[in-house]
Amino acid sequence: MHTVFVTGASGVLGEAIVERLRIHPAVAQIFALAHQSAVPAGIEPAQGDITAETDLGMEARTAEKIRSEATIIIHAAADTRFSAALPEAQHTNVDGTGNLLNFSAACRQQPRVVVLSTVYVAGRRSGVVYENELEHDAGFVNAYEQSKYQAERQVRKHKDELPVTVVRLSTVIGDSEGHVTRLAALHHALRFYYSSLAPMVPGSDTSLVDLVALDYAANAVVHLAVDGFAAGKTYQVCGGMDCLTLREMLDLAFECFLCFRPAWRKRAIEKPAVVPLRTFELFVRSVEEIGDEGLRASVGVLKHFAPQLAYPKQFDDSALRAALPDLSKPVIRELFPRVVRCLIESGWEPTRWSEAQCP
Amino acid sequence: MALSAAQRLMEQSKVPPSEIGAIFYAGAIPQSHVAGACASGNPFNYPVALLQYELELERAMAIGISQVGCMGLNSAVGLARDFLLSNGDAEHVLCVSADVLPCGVKREILYNVISDGACAVLVSRGSERNRLLYRRQVTKGYYWDSVGKKNEIIAAYFPTAQHLIRSTLEGAGVTKEDIRWIIPHNVSRRSWEILLDLVELPMERLFAGNIPRIGHVIAADNWINLRDMMEWNLLRSGDKLLLVNFGFGANWACTVMEY
Repeated sequence: MHTVFVTGASGVLGEAIVERLRIHPAVAQIFALAHQSAVPAGIEPAQGDITAETDLGMEARTAEKIRSEATIIIHAAADTRFSAALPEAQHTNVDGTGNLLNFSAACRQQPRVVVLSTVYVAGRRSGVVYENELEHDAGFVNAYEQSKYQAERQVRKHKDELPVTVVRLSTVIGDSEGHVTRLAALHHALRFYYSSLAPMVPGSDTSLVDLVALDYAANAVVHLAVDGFAAGKTYQVCGGMDCLTLREMLDLAFECFLCFRPAWRKRAIEKPAVVPLRTFELFVRSVEEIGDEGLRASVGVLKHFAPQLAYPKQFDDSALRAALPDLSKPVIRELFPRVVRCLIESGWEPTRWSEAQCP
Repeated sequence: MALSAAQRLMEQSKVPPSEIGAIFYAGAIPQSHVAGACASGNPFNYPVALLQYELELERAMAIGISQVGCMGLNSAVGLARDFLLSNGDAEHVLCVSADVLPCGVKREILYNVISDGACAVLVSRGSERNRLLYRRQVTKGYYWDSVGKKNEIIAAYFPTAQHLIRSTLEGAGVTKEDIRWIIPHNVSRRSWEILLDLVELPMERLFAGNIPRIGHVIAADNWINLRDMMEWNLLRSGDKLLLVNFGFGANWACTVMEY
């Protein structure tokens, strides 16, 4: 039986992971490192801070208990803000990961360590991105990507001394029923599109948009940590071959707006233009120089992640599929409309299955 | 200003006033539709009738055009063409616009510098110069409130203009390569860089010289620019021209002309 220590347990993915660990027959005890937010009910809270070097900021007694009992560590804590400045992102994502690795090394049961990362450590690379690849000099779209890249490099340095594996996540769009528990950049971008505040998106019509369901991602992490752990591996939990192109996504969102809110047709809102990055940046600069707050907010959301679409890439998930051949993944063309529907019907408020009005 | 512009045009064109079948007068703001001083307190006076009287256009039908913002003169020209096509005995339509921003109104509006001005355009049947080949106009009523929906209008401006330009070229049966000049409304130069990127037309074909020189003269830009290009010998016979325009009231228009 396992004792699992989870960081970032109050995050969207962390919460979903903990829910699954709680009912997993091979898990006896769960400790959750919580910073400011409360941890989910039914698990041992361990108040602390991933950025604290000593015992991750936990009380000495709690830290010692975890050090002696943990057999699995899942590191989900991260600063996921795309707009964060690099030093801020590095503080949590790089220093925090370093602290976690040091803490793991001091654990007595030599726990398995699963570090969650992002497929966007590939930054401005284009083409197919394989799971075993990391190093590149293509640059990054935002500090989040860069800091997670640096964190992964740090993990690789520890792989001879720790049984550690990296699980890179793609963009989590919502659960397989379409519910969104916390709005992220993509959801805000869809809202701006719906509200006629998204004039253009950088990229090309054929740029792939890789999206993944929350429950698929959480199931994958739990399986890889508990049931099928393999040290020294990197897995990409992503859409892989099942992706929408940017044009398909814009068209599908448009169809959903019309279908789930028929009165929206009356507005005759145009689909955003798909433009070269240079054109998008020119528009962003104009709005930032003289635009007012409303438009700046829209552009502010788009500018930190949308440029990623100008570097078309496809993420390979062969290793993950080989490791978890039976894990079912929602089809994106079915999942995406469910998410859009829930967003529209909730007025872009977060929803959960039990609270949602959507079927 | 409207009268002065119209008088100069009538003198230069040598068209007798009696041959004008209609006069269309456009103004973007309510004050442009009151002749003389507002201080008279009489809201029922009409500049287009005054123009018809002063210009002695005795056979001309007089109509005012409002609620299309900066697209007033462009709309007038489009309506003039339609008028000539549906009135076989009419030969000419005089289109005039004039706008003066009231004192104290900020002259930077939605990224653009606004100038006062007037312009007159004569639309004639069978004219050999500046032939109107095709015109399209799109109105998107959702954006009717130009202040309340300011941000949405800015966001809608580019994709709507992009689609309109493409469909106008298609409707006119010409390609992007056929267009020798893009004659703009004088909104910010950067917005033209963005829009021309979207439709993949080179900035070199944009007549941008008047943007810093005279600013955005509300409804008159395209036609003042055309006139200046003619005077500065920039145009050659057969040149295809693309006139693009946007006006509050949520109107986009695009016209293909042949010089």
